[in-house]
Amino acid sequence: MGGKTKRTFKVSLMLMLSLSFALAGCGGNNNNGNSSSAGEGDKSGNAATQTAGSDAGSDKVKPFEVSVFIGAAGQQPTPDNKIYKKIKEETGATFNMEFLAGDINQKLGVMIAGQDYPDLITGNAKLVTAGAYIPLEDLIEEHAPNLKAHYADYWNMMKDPSDGHIYVLPNYGVYNGKVNSSYYSGPAFWVQKAVLKEFGYPQIKTLDEYFDLIAKYKEKYPTIDGSPTIGFEILNYDWKNWGLFNPPQHLIGHPNDGGVVVNDGVAEIFADKDYAKKYYQKLNEVNERGLLDKETFVQNSDQYLAKLSSGTVLGMFDQHWNFGTAEDALTTQGKIERTYVGLPLVYDTATKDYYRDRPVLNLNNGFGISINAKDPVKIIKLLETLISEDWQKTLAWGIEGEDYYLNEEGRFMRTQEQRDQATDATWQLANKAKSMFEYLPKIEGSYSDGNATGPAEQPEEYQAGLKPYDKEFLDAYGFQTYVDFFSEPPQNPVYYPAWSIDLIDGSDAKIANTKLNELSTKFLPQAILAKPGDFDKVWNDYTSEIGKVNIKAYEDRINELIKWRIDNWSK
Amino acid sequence: MAETLTQQPVARPPKRKKERRFTWKQIKDQRQLIWMSVPLTLYIMLFAYYPVWGWTMAFQNYRPNKSFGEQEWVGFKQFHFLFTDDNFIRVLRNTVAMGFINLVLGFVTAIILALLLNEIRKVLWKRVVQTISYLPHFLSWIIVTGIVATSLSINDGIVNIVLMKLHIINEPILWLSEGKYFWGIVGASHVWKEVGWNTIIYLAAIASIDPALYEAAEIDGANRYKKMQYVTLPGIKGTVVILLIMSIGHILEAGFEVQYLLGNGLVVDWAETIDIFVLKYGLAQGNYSLATAGGIFKTVVSITMLLLANGVAKRLGEERLL
Amino acid sequence: MDNRQISPQPNAGIKYRKNSGIGRLEPFLFTTFNTVFMICLVIVTLYPFLNTIAVSFNVGNDTIRGGIYLWPREWTTQNYKAIFASGYVYDAFFISVARTLISTLLNIFLTTMLAYTLSRKDYVFRKVITVIFVLTMYFNAGLIPNYFLIKDLHLLNTFWVYVVPSMISAFNLIVIRTYILTLPEALIESAKIDGAGDFKIFWRVIFPLCKPVLATIALFVAVGAWNAWFDAFIYTSSRQHLSTLQYELMKLISSTMNSNANPSVAHGSGMTAESARDMVTPISIRAAITVVASVPILVVYPFLQKYFVVGLNVGSVKE
Repeated sequence: MGGKTKRTFKVSLMLMLSLSFALAGCGGNNNNGNSSSAGEGDKSGNAATQTAGSDAGSDKVKPFEVSVFIGAAGQQPTPDNKIYKKIKEETGATFNMEFLAGDINQKLGVMIAGQDYPDLITGNAKLVTAGAYIPLEDLIEEHAPNLKAHYADYWNMMKDPSDGHIYVLPNYGVYNGKVNSSYYSGPAFWVQKAVLKEFGYPQIKTLDEYFDLIAKYKEKYPTIDGSPTIGFEILNYDWKNWGLFNPPQHLIGHPNDGGVVVNDGVAEIFADKDYAKKYYQKLNEVNERGLLDKETFVQNSDQYLAKLSSGTVLGMFDQHWNFGTAEDALTTQGKIERTYVGLPLVYDTATKDYYRDRPVLNLNNGFGISINAKDPVKIIKLLETLISEDWQKTLAWGIEGEDYYLNEEGRFMRTQEQRDQATDATWQLANKAKSMFEYLPKIEGSYSDGNATGPAEQPEEYQAGLKPYDKEFLDAYGFQTYVDFFSEPPQNPVYYPAWSIDLIDGSDAKIANTKLNELSTKFLPQAILAKPGDFDKVWNDYTSEIGKVNIKAYEDRINELIKWRIDNWSK
Repeated sequence: MAETLTQQPVARPPKRKKERRFTWKQIKDQRQLIWMSVPLTLYIMLFAYYPVWGWTMAFQNYRPNKSFGEQEWVGFKQFHFLFTDDNFIRVLRNTVAMGFINLVLGFVTAIILALLLNEIRKVLWKRVVQTISYLPHFLSWIIVTGIVATSLSINDGIVNIVLMKLHIINEPILWLSEGKYFWGIVGASHVWKEVGWNTIIYLAAIASIDPALYEAAEIDGANRYKKMQYVTLPGIKGTVVILLIMSIGHILEAGFEVQYLLGNGLVVDWAETIDIFVLKYGLAQGNYSLATAGGIFKTVVSITMLLLANGVAKRLGEERLL
Repeated sequence: MDNRQISPQPNAGIKYRKNSGIGRLEPFLFTTFNTVFMICLVIVTLYPFLNTIAVSFNVGNDTIRGGIYLWPREWTTQNYKAIFASGYVYDAFFISVARTLISTLLNIFLTTMLAYTLSRKDYVFRKVITVIFVLTMYFNAGLIPNYFLIKDLHLLNTFWVYVVPSMISAFNLIVIRTYILTLPEALIESAKIDGAGDFKIFWRVIFPLCKPVLATIALFVAVGAWNAWFDAFIYTSSRQHLSTLQYELMKLISSTMNSNANPSVAHGSGMTAESARDMVTPISIRAAITVVASVPILVVYPFLQKYFVVGLNVGSVKE
């Protein structure tokens, strides 16, 4: 190490240090200079106030910026995104969006403590409790007749249980016109299409029939593509616990109410009930018959999806959206026969299945206007503009001629090329306003011209995308779509669904719920894997542990809110 | 802390006693040293110590939307919740056990690897091995645990395949379903991910040993092991002891990510750590107070352990941290 | 306290046994063992990285099936395209480089300076300052009070929030102090006799001698700064132009996971095998992100590595 090296080292160090201080100045300037894109609170506030005075109906739109916090992951659109550009040109609004990447509780903690709210924030129970939103009723009455009409039927449901104000405009669950559904994304017992086809498309209604069918197929085909056939999978990883927890309520003909079953407006947990025991005892038997994957309780979500996408898993209980990627992978491999069909199983044929439900209002989701917003009127007027049918079409379908076309009957259709590009994440960043639209108030069902409010819901689109195998399969059952396997859902109970009841952070109810989940995660796998003779013992341990938890606090909270909903939501 | 501060001068030989009372002359003589250190001390006081006012949260029912004056004071309620939970003892046991296993395995493997690397004569090979061994440090736990879980699978997991081929086991073992294996799996995963990275600091220590010592030892006829024993190890002993003392203070830092990612219902009694517990009942419930109480508990344990370790080192006449 | 004992003395009284018969075979055995061991180590530690690279170049929907080991099964660059699609990654890369450089240099300079003062046994505040710093390793005030501090100091939404709160780490301080203590005290004494002030001693004498340990510390700080994302998440998340590479990648992976687990996304409907092939999945995007995020810092490594792997001839400098 010569002296020269030493000197160069020192000189460069000094250089870097001075550079860093020079950058300090730079950084400061940057902040001020870039405020147009960064959205300094004050400046955008000023801009908003300036334009607020101007006539909303005038031809010239004055640009203004809305800062937005989206409490979920998402990606910044490209700067020249065509939909946002159109919004800017026609309404003057630009969005400065911030997405969540990390733990929401940490982010909300500092946001609330510092009262650092942007103009628009996605709905969150914690923020409502913290008083982060302004009440919207008067604003809507005064400035937004279309929004008022849009939410008219749901008005009472949107009110906050604690003080009766409306803080958040739900993003999903407001339906107009005919509701088309060709895709079922909810929970069911799933089975490979090949299994049903193999045995001549039988009607499978009960749990016993289901497992017998799987056993028969597994016996006939002990391996699939060289790998051992797996009869049944249960995913219980992290928060994805419904595969293990939820089936009992459906098997007795109840819809998904989360951890409780509601009878005549009274909720009780079902984890320790006999009909739950019946299910887990059945799984114990299934395991004894060698149908259950040995690894099922130690696998993570990725391993579970890997097994599904290898085409060797005959069945599982899951929510459809959770394994969509696995079906995509099977599609890519051309293994359509290994994709799944959902079956609404019950214990006995006397019970009517109630898996599929009517769409429910997505409470505590969507946008609310924060107390820091300088000009709420301007924002509510913007939302009012965007709920118009024209804008809704632009947001959901895109631009006519570019993203979809009108056929002779005036129906919205897409070419295969348009379909393909729409699934491309990169293309979406430049051509869809996906992240905003997801949280904006929106029309669902159909527009006044009869078209569905999105490509996935348009029946023609669905039929065009259907593969020959599926056509044959559906024809065998005489169905139009796979949704037809499920009974037409009755009108939802007024309170429904109980799972959307906020248990309130840190309350006894929420702690009890956490404890209950802990116990189920621990004991149910033990019970299922136990020797049949030991099952009762494990089950008794389980229920006696549940007995120690403050279940009453949990049930009371839910019942209190069910009652509140019945009192306030009934029309 | 004040205790150690006042105790130590007494324990020292009498001639150092004057160190306790500093004179103006000393201050004047050492003004450059003071300028070099006191501003930085003030800086750390501001950034690390000043925010500790937030520990008051542990005695409140903290709600972030309220100001300090409006908070509800609840005394030791949060600590009570923490310590009286049925799971607390088990969670503490798991944390200490995994913390301890990680500490021992981490130290031993890193030092052994450093010694073995030091024995490689071909510089290029040494650099290659060293560079590769630290690569896993840059992978996130989710990737590493993904590979661990796949390797331990009973279907085509490499671990079961190898053990079967070697006839150590007769049928595949479902490693992640048994609590008794869990701590070992976590420890091994840590070693796998971090051993190369942990070695770096010892390599630096070895690099600074005077080569003349090796030459002298060689002249005395020392073989490889003698040189390790009498030159290399004493050369890095200072570093080892200091790092060990610091790590003992971190015994409760068994983490949560690995346990969270590898754990499942069947091993939950062995997998759950204090951090997971506090996360589940604290942060996930918006209960910042409980999270703070958990942090304070860990700090108290940490500093106690640190002082104990430091005291033991002092007793043994080894390098000390404080 | 004194570990300047690393001088030839400890060896003086030791009698080494003469090499016996087995001794001649021994070096060969050892070298063989060591080489085999190192090869195993290389295989075991290289595998996860190669696997990650293979996954990053494999079609996302194919990766889900598992069974990707060292080579992609269905080649694609789609995962990388998805990362660079938005263009924000480039700006974020610059911010990350800047914060890493500045943090590293400031840390090295300030920590070594402080470590030097704490290595001086005669320094009056030595004890108290050491204790003050050491304790910071074992407590954390918590997220919210820290946020208030940053806010009150007007560091919120500035670049400097990446640098200022983490200019000194107690761990590094102790490591450097321990190292300086191994340097001969005579160096300082003789510099003093030459009339050098303490700063000058530090800068001219001590600092240059610390290279091996500083290379190590530089690596620790640089890797830490490069990998940090939490500060961007808490303190600057509403400023796109201040986003760091890690945070951008974090957003990307979260959004991929989100859109793959979104009930409102109808999978499979109207999708052809070709378009399904172009979709990215969390596993594949995570792999590509890992490669993108770690390659720049890996490139730096060999430059620092020579200081602690090859060794610095401290002895010769000492004279």
